Amino acid sequence: MIYAEHLRKEFKKVIKEPGLKGSIKALFKPHKEIVVAAEDISFHVPKGEILGFIGPNGAGKSTVIKMLTGILTPTSGECRINGKIPQNDRKNYVKEIGVVFGQRTQLWWDLPLVETYSVLKEIYEVSDEKFKERMAFLNEVLELEPFIKSPVRTLSLGQRMRADIAASMLHSPKVLFLDEPTIGLDVVVKDNIRQAIMKINKEEQTTVILTTHDISDIELLCDRIVMIDKGKNVYDGSLRELKANYGQMRELNFEANPSSKLTPEKFKSKLKLTDDDLSVECDKNIYKVRFNSAVMPVGEMLSYTLSQANIKDISIKDADVEEIIRRLYKQGVNTGA
Amino acid sequence: MHKVKKLYFPFTRAGIQELLAYRMNFLCFFFGELFYCFVMYYVWKAVFESSGSGTFMDFSMNDMVVYLFISNVTGFITSSNVCEQVGDEIKDGSISMRLIKPVNCNLSYLFKELGQLVVLLTLIFVPMVLGVEIYRYCVNGFIMFNIVNFLLYLLSASFAYLISFYLNLCFGFMAFFVKNLWGFNILKKSLIKFLSGAVIPLAFMPNIIKQILELMPFASLSYTPVMIYMGKYDTQQIVFNILLQLFWLMFFYVLSKLIWKKAIKYLCVQGG
Repeated sequence: MIYAEHLRKEFKKVIKEPGLKGSIKALFKPHKEIVVAAEDISFHVPKGEILGFIGPNGAGKSTVIKMLTGILTPTSGECRINGKIPQNDRKNYVKEIGVVFGQRTQLWWDLPLVETYSVLKEIYEVSDEKFKERMAFLNEVLELEPFIKSPVRTLSLGQRMRADIAASMLHSPKVLFLDEPTIGLDVVVKDNIRQAIMKINKEEQTTVILTTHDISDIELLCDRIVMIDKGKNVYDGSLRELKANYGQMRELNFEANPSSKLTPEKFKSKLKLTDDDLSVECDKNIYKVRFNSAVMPVGEMLSYTLSQANIKDISIKDADVEEIIRRLYKQGVNTGA
Repeated sequence: MHKVKKLYFPFTRAGIQELLAYRMNFLCFFFGELFYCFVMYYVWKAVFESSGSGTFMDFSMNDMVVYLFISNVTGFITSSNVCEQVGDEIKDGSISMRLIKPVNCNLSYLFKELGQLVVLLTLIFVPMVLGVEIYRYCVNGFIMFNIVNFLLYLLSASFAYLISFYLNLCFGFMAFFVKNLWGFNILKKSLIKFLSGAVIPLAFMPNIIKQILELMPFASLSYTPVMIYMGKYDTQQIVFNILLQLFWLMFFYVLSKLIWKKAIKYLCVQGG
């Protein structure tokens, strides 16, 4: 369905020295530098899959999405979606895709929202019948009704984002590119949007590529994740696999009795573990200990903790994905890619 | 053709609605232009009065009044702000939202502007021409309106608009290379204003300069249609000038296509 092979994108950038002198110098003799936004990115996505495309800020996620959607031309490498190369026949290609850039909007800023949809209906040549059915579906999942007659510029961020998502799904695209669709939204709206993505994926086998910094998006939606950093693949595989490989982190929560005079430093000092394998946070007497269970087994940690203080309440849980990803970002480990 | 209409008509409709959404803005602009016309009127009146003779380079004061108002309204309806629009969209990267639509980018700009043009024609052009004709009737005592000239004027003005659109599009694409068009725009605007005869009729220029300027694309933008409207051109001149307009239209059309093809490869969407 989607093939990306060794995508690379370079930008030329004019580097200006600081200050007025630098500005004047840059005016006459610009110093150009080549910035590599994506160095070597490859992956493929089968039909009907929801792929989480993740990485820290500036990793090149958006650049890759822009190449896949035909906006940017790769410096080298190739991508093929539905057997089409986006850059070759843009107009035909984009008929089959839906795109949302969380930080931009495709809605007509000065017009009532409903007008945008009727413009899109014509552009994508959606039949009246199909359009009605589609709007009903989108209305139901994304709750557009209350603001569908308001000019887009008056919508709140949450409303606008729901409207944008609806706009990208209106023509039943085969592939949906969502670049940070939940950025800056509250939990309820996020949930709405996730529902919409899940439904459309299930009912129409829509392939979805999703970039996000929100870990729950990934946990709830994605079958597979591809992680990139500094323009290169870092990880490619299922979430479960990632958890198995990097998920030995555990989180131990307990409340110590004040009388036991425990401090985080004291707790840490007796365990000869590196900072990567152990972190201790303490708020009043409530402790949060993250540790690597591969280095220090859970049982040992428990008995150690019990020996250290008079414990009121104790619980232990698996590390969440956020923690795993934090570790991956830090180490930049290369497996499975 | 039917498909083009179906595909791009929504842009036209949206263009109309968008312009009407900012009625006040548009009215202020209109009155500003009208005010400018009257300022120019008094300037030229002073020039004519001090020259002593009733006519100046074949223009009577009445001609001058007609020229002023018609050239202004022609400039108004044939001007295109696609340059600013493309420039802004390239600069802030929102052109990517246009690129993900299965439509021809240039045509989508064109049809949106045509929508605005519909509004301008009905709300400004028609009253303006009526006003000018009433003025001519009052001064001369008979109707000077010539339907053939007027139709030829409309044809020539349509070409003028399209030339203006593609010329501005070419300018707008410069944003691919320079990233900020503000300076370019000011230069372009004042050049066009002067070279198209909107400030001083080209007929008033020294002969050799006049001949050069008449061949340049800027004259096609408003001078040619206005001269046709006023009946200052004979048949031969009309044919020649309209063909010249066609040439410039083709020239800028092809140029805009070429730049677009090249430029899209260099597109770098900034931020986000």
